[in-house]
Amino acid sequence: MTYDLLDSVTLASSASSVTFSSIDQSYGDLILVSNHATTGGADIRFRVNGDTGSNYSWVQMYGTGSSATSNNTTSDHFFDYGTPTSLGATISIQFMDYAATDKHKSVLARRDWASALTLAAAGRWANTSAITTILAYTAAGSFAAGSTFHLYGIAK
Amino acid sequence: MAYELIETIEVGAGGAASIEFTSIPQDGVDLQVVVSARQTTGGNVSLMTLNSDSSGSNYTFVNLQGNGTNKYTDTISGSNYIYFGGTTSNIRTANTFGNASAYISNYTSSVAKSISTDGVTESNETTAWQTMAANTYTGTSPITTVTISRPFVQYSTASLYKIY
Repeated sequence: MTYDLLDSVTLASSASSVTFSSIDQSYGDLILVSNHATTGGADIRFRVNGDTGSNYSWVQMYGTGSSATSNNTTSDHFFDYGTPTSLGATISIQFMDYAATDKHKSVLARRDWASALTLAAAGRWANTSAITTILAYTAAGSFAAGSTFHLYGIAK
Repeated sequence: MAYELIETIEVGAGGAASIEFTSIPQDGVDLQVVVSARQTTGGNVSLMTLNSDSSGSNYTFVNLQGNGTNKYTDTISGSNYIYFGGTTSNIRTANTFGNASAYISNYTSSVAKSISTDGVTESNETTAWQTMAANTYTGTSPITTVTISRPFVQYSTASLYKIY
């Protein structure tokens, strides 16, 4: 299996967003792994191709240590993965067949923050365009300095 | 840049109390451990430790478990191990092995480490356990050793991959 690191970002200072653009279209899947914290209790969110429309749907299950829950949403404006407030939270998102132009894009995600919850999610971006840009941003506040973001490509 | 197999360990005749990867190369970004295992005791989990730290209460985890009928979630702060489900018990159907993986991000960093684990037992029975967990290890040294403990039966395997 060829699993290439396409881009890597380590924040030297706080930032409100991280963008991966001009993504190489020659791979089968993409995996984005972030290890981060946000300030101000803000959620971390992801969008692709600058799409701010109601084209993001997901179903998720999670455990907090005291409750196990599953829920879903349709027609959201982003993929939302919660509010880690200290470094040590990891999110991994796999974008399946991201370069295809004949299907909506499916994602599988994990969000792990040992002091809060473990979460697994499946999502869909209702658009057939190839994914060329991924934006990670905070609903308010910013990512803390030291946050890391790695984008991998898995060869076909 | 690659997803590179560092080492695969297979348990030999007579079984083994643990599987250990040492002298892990420090030129990667992330690590992944993939396990196929069956244990000689009851239970569905293995105990994973990093850098031989098994007594410092330096691990915290929250998990989610399901068996087709019920769901559970637990959390422990100050644990001595990473929650690593997916090791089939010896009371289950013979020759069935569970699967598990652990993803360790930024393993050469000088900050606390975040580890995501997944596991599923396989028993060819009506009940199997699927688990996932978020783990934090507060040790700040780069990870050079990964140890997975449980009395493992012969033919259990563990593979360590470096992602960079």
